[in-house]
Amino acid sequence: MSLLEVRDLHVNVDDKPILKGLDLTVEAGEVHAVMGPNGSGKSTLANVLAGRPGYDIDVGSITLDDEDLTAATPDERAHRGLFLAFQYPIEIPGVSNMEFLKAAVDAHAVHTGLSEPSAVDFIKRARATAEQLHLSADFLKRGVNEGFSGGEKKRNEILQMLLLEPRLAVLDETDSGLDIDALQVVAEGINAFRAGDNAIVLVTHYQRLLNYVVPDHVHVLIDGRIARSGDHTLAHTLEDEGYGWLDG
Amino acid sequence: MAGSTADPAVATSSALARRLLDIETSDRSSWLDRAACQAVIARGLPDTRGEPWKYTNVNRWYDVALATHDPAALGIEAPDDVLVVDFDDPRTRPLTAAHRGKAFDLEEHPLAAVNGLLLDAGMAIVVPDDWHGEAPVRISDDGPSYQHILLVVGRGASITLVEEACGFTHRIVEAVVEPGGQLRHLRRQRPTPRRECSLVAVHLDRDARYELAQSSRGAELRRNDVVVTLAGSGAQVTVNGAWRLIDREHLDTQVAVNHVAPQGFSRQTYRGVVADRARAVLNGRIHIAAGAKATDAALNTKNLLATDSAEVYAKPELEIFESDVQCSHGATVGTLDEEAVFYLRSRGLSDKAARALLVDGFLREAIADDEGAARLEVVA
Repeated sequence: MSLLEVRDLHVNVDDKPILKGLDLTVEAGEVHAVMGPNGSGKSTLANVLAGRPGYDIDVGSITLDDEDLTAATPDERAHRGLFLAFQYPIEIPGVSNMEFLKAAVDAHAVHTGLSEPSAVDFIKRARATAEQLHLSADFLKRGVNEGFSGGEKKRNEILQMLLLEPRLAVLDETDSGLDIDALQVVAEGINAFRAGDNAIVLVTHYQRLLNYVVPDHVHVLIDGRIARSGDHTLAHTLEDEGYGWLDG
Repeated sequence: MAGSTADPAVATSSALARRLLDIETSDRSSWLDRAACQAVIARGLPDTRGEPWKYTNVNRWYDVALATHDPAALGIEAPDDVLVVDFDDPRTRPLTAAHRGKAFDLEEHPLAAVNGLLLDAGMAIVVPDDWHGEAPVRISDDGPSYQHILLVVGRGASITLVEEACGFTHRIVEAVVEPGGQLRHLRRQRPTPRRECSLVAVHLDRDARYELAQSSRGAELRRNDVVVTLAGSGAQVTVNGAWRLIDREHLDTQVAVNHVAPQGFSRQTYRGVVADRARAVLNGRIHIAAGAKATDAALNTKNLLATDSAEVYAKPELEIFESDVQCSHGATVGTLDEEAVFYLRSRGLSDKAARALLVDGFLREAIADDEGAARLEVVA
């Protein structure tokens, strides 16, 4: 049984076909990188996995741990262990980051039948995890993503991933807009998460994150389909030669 | 004229005005009583044809203005050293006479004239000069139909007023803050099926500060007038308001911040959530008089419509007669950001929990939980 199975996925956005028969199988313990030129459907794949409204699945299926999620709501997917790190994290003024993180962790606890962590235990854990990502304690008191720099927003996504401990983390261009120091911190966070019982799908335009998080498989998405798959060396080939040689 | 007397709206207010003026006047000795009579005679009472009452059918308030008369006692708790006395108490009569009616203009607030003529309980609260303390003054809800509370905050004194502003027909909270004094006013309004109007009127002397945090649930008819005058130089005012309305509730908030002295600072922030067939009105006026140099004033209001049938009328009004000022305003009416809803749902919150958290956060931009935002919760 694979952790994630995507079968013959056809997705329309605003009545325009974006994914045109995509297949992807991810096993527990694996890191998959999905690369491709702008407009190839990378972000659509990330969003449709998370169940974003407006992304209509025409044909095909998404299965996580043998459970069909094709028609599941975003929160049901989250409860089953799916996590999307947003390319553009949303600002929520008036809701503190800590309150938001606690609400998310509590929602998961309720659905896994565990008791909600005590406020004290949770604050300790959130602070320690924030520190691991070089984020100050003050950062947890601020409004969610409110006034955060691009790098802070991306690190906040990784913070959520580390606290929620999903089965499958889909990271949508988490490397974009990061300077080299922030990139290393984010990569350390991803590597700390990486374990035998979970999996990661990294959606990225550039190879540079893959210098720090070495993927088991690299896929190239072109025009809504996976045009080529290989090991981590495929990313280097793409970096040297671009996507043009795969076009036709 | 024959046409206008046939108008039921005019007939209602005229009838009330006549009945008010017929009330035994032998003991109407104070300036305010005489002024109130004159105001009613000269101007009549407002109706929905006038701009200030355009969205609130004041005739529905006139229906209860004379009908429901409750002489219950007014509940005020105050720390030691803070004097709480009746308007007629000889110890404070000169002070009351000097300050009562100072912070508002009867011509602009005609219902205050009705209040003055029908007054059940008039209480003065006097905070001595340089008084500081943690304990607040508390004004409870319910009590008599017509109430006038006059709070005098002495020079350099600092106090918090916690007001449950509900359960009357008309309440005036009038505050005079003497030089260097500070008043923090937490005003909370629970939902009610009643029709209630109130006036908060504040007069700020030099370097005085006033901070209002008003959290309101709806009523059958609820009208809140707030007028703050920065009469001394360097006065500062913050008016924050948050409201949450459901069903067919009605809330009309009319705020006027008047800068008449130099170097005044004012900030107004409003956040409202309106659902079902409810209606919210916010009129926020910044008036900067000639000579009020180096004034810094701003107003910001944001409103969320939870349903298509809800109504919001949000209007910032600027009247600026001085060039050396900074003044800004912004008003928006919208719906919850669906991207934010998706963001929260992707973290495992249900659709309902996501929307509730976003609404709480939105309201907290104006009012913190400990100031009353938590009381705005609507149990679905």
